[in-house]
Amino acid sequence: MTAIAANFHRSSQRPTGLVPLYGRRLRVATKTVPGIIGQLITPVLWVLIVAPALADALGDFAPGVDYYTYAAIGQIVLLVPFTSMFAGINVIVDKDFGVLRDFLVAPIRRRTIPLANALGVLTVSWVQVVIIIGLAAANGAELDTSASRVVFLFGAVSLLGLGTYGLAEALAYRVGRQEAYGPLIPAIGVTPFMLCGGIYPLAVLPTGVRWLAYFLPWTHAVALVRYALMGTAESGLAQIWGFGAAPVQATLSLAALALFTALAWRLALRVFRRATTS
Amino acid sequence: MSVEIAARRVPLPGVAAPPVIVDGMHKIYPGGVEAVRGISFEVADGEIFGLLGPNGAGKTTTFGVLTTLVEPTRGRAFVAGHDVVAFPLGVRRAIGVAFQDSVLDNEFSGRENLRLHARLWNLARRDAEQRIDALLALMDLDQRADDNVRTYSGGMRRRLELGRALLANPRVLFLDEPTVGLDPSVRDEIWALVRQLQREEGVTIVLSTHYLEEAEDVCDRVAIMNRGELVALGSPAELIETLGAELVELQIDGDPTAAARELGITLQRASPPLVRRDLVSIAVSDDAADLARQIAAIRSDGLGIIGSTLRRTSLADVFAHRTGRPLDEELGR
Ligand SMILES: Nc1ncnc2c1ncn2[C@@H]1O[C@H](COP(=O)(O)OP(=O)(O)O)[C@@H](O)[C@H]1O
Ligand SMILES: [Mg+2]
Repeated sequence: MTAIAANFHRSSQRPTGLVPLYGRRLRVATKTVPGIIGQLITPVLWVLIVAPALADALGDFAPGVDYYTYAAIGQIVLLVPFTSMFAGINVIVDKDFGVLRDFLVAPIRRRTIPLANALGVLTVSWVQVVIIIGLAAANGAELDTSASRVVFLFGAVSLLGLGTYGLAEALAYRVGRQEAYGPLIPAIGVTPFMLCGGIYPLAVLPTGVRWLAYFLPWTHAVALVRYALMGTAESGLAQIWGFGAAPVQATLSLAALALFTALAWRLALRVFRRATTS
Repeated sequence: MSVEIAARRVPLPGVAAPPVIVDGMHKIYPGGVEAVRGISFEVADGEIFGLLGPNGAGKTTTFGVLTTLVEPTRGRAFVAGHDVVAFPLGVRRAIGVAFQDSVLDNEFSGRENLRLHARLWNLARRDAEQRIDALLALMDLDQRADDNVRTYSGGMRRRLELGRALLANPRVLFLDEPTVGLDPSVRDEIWALVRQLQREEGVTIVLSTHYLEEAEDVCDRVAIMNRGELVALGSPAELIETLGAELVELQIDGDPTAAARELGITLQRASPPLVRRDLVSIAVSDDAADLARQIAAIRSDGLGIIGSTLRRTSLADVFAHRTGRPLDEELGR
């Protein structure tokens, strides 16, 4: 028994937990081969099959805009929120059948738990985004980027991923059951994409719907992603803001996304706290 | 609870305080269920302390407060010298918890479950690996350590959770119903382990169970709860002593309640006779012969006594006599 009874020390008294919980969340995401394939198949299918088909069917809606690139890149904004929403299921599984309660009695700050989950899910999203961009480029997409514009890609994807995952955590704890959460995945993971200018420009939408779209984080994210990877003309930023130069418009859209993310996390942390202390 | 008492109970720095102090603790859940109604007790260093009582007594709620999962509505509690409300992180650094229901990371192996726990509890990596190996051996899981926990039996899961609770060398170990849902033989195994842990690791153990018979052998002291209140507190021997070491159980052909009432009046004993199904039980203090004579005298009084047995008093009898209701009725057996 000496080995067990032996005194041993902790590396520090600082409450940590972010790194191990992040690592654990990533391992959950990559645990099974079907899981990995499931998360990779959508971007691959879209870039190689759906976007070319759309380009063939719809042709060019505007001179000078390559529709294949437009649609292929646009689907980043479909995939990131969908991945976030889908990951909300794990929250419910951990709570009901899993290990959450052991995390809750760990000597760490509790908010580390949802934050580590968010970073894990965001990492998965980024892998998907890189695959989309890489495949699209390999498949003939006309990418046009620069160091100063690519910052907006980084910001848009990260903020949209974190924000939608914040929503997913809040909804998962609020609705509590998988059966009730399931229908929210397409409702929030997919529907806003249809309105945000992901596959067609906002200009074709009726005025009322267009105004709704201006308030969707998705709209700003897709504009930023196109601004970063295609250019000012293709971004649609001018259509959203109607004033200022493109970098100003992009900064405003990024700020709008940041506001959304901040609000989503305020809600997420409040719901989390309420759901985990009685 | 007066402020004065609360102030007195605050452990002073530098003074070896009892590892667990519960002082006037109430818990009313949102929705109004009054799960715990003002209980107070202390747990001494190194002892096995049992929180006993039927389902719904408030044991898990009490554990929840002590492990910082539930906020008390009133009253205070200290674990390892830390106020559970004011300094939950300090409490969580000092405790190990095995929950009533299984709480494992189902995607991973037993060893991976322990590793994650070790990292969350901030153990140095080399120490952690050694201790994980030792605990897996102790819990008899070394052969299956790298299998997914989904493939584990109920007993294996429980043993893994016990090992995990011990991993960070806690000062206080909380085991909520460690044997619930297990076969009797596996239950014995778990109790043997609990005793071994106390002996060899010197850890203070607070456990709960609704199997009062099992607690009798394992616990140094117990608190018996019923519907949110403490009905008894002390060592099993002391509590049994208050009733007498033995009970006479009379089998009644007829109305046992009426018979019990009659017997209570005739015998004039400290604790009134208790009815369970067709049995009336009467505590025997040190005057067994006297009681036997009295019963023999009233046997012919038309109470319908058709048999009598003498048996050892148990904690379940203590529960019954303190609450006026047999434990098996509370358990719905
Ligand atoms: N989260 C909760 N919300 C509301 N009521 C609860 C909650 N948890 C337990 N209770 C109620 O509190 C009472 C005590 O439950 P519990 O502490 O689990 O008792 P035990 O562990 O002794 O069976 C029960 O009536 C139970 O239904
Ligand atoms: Mg319980």
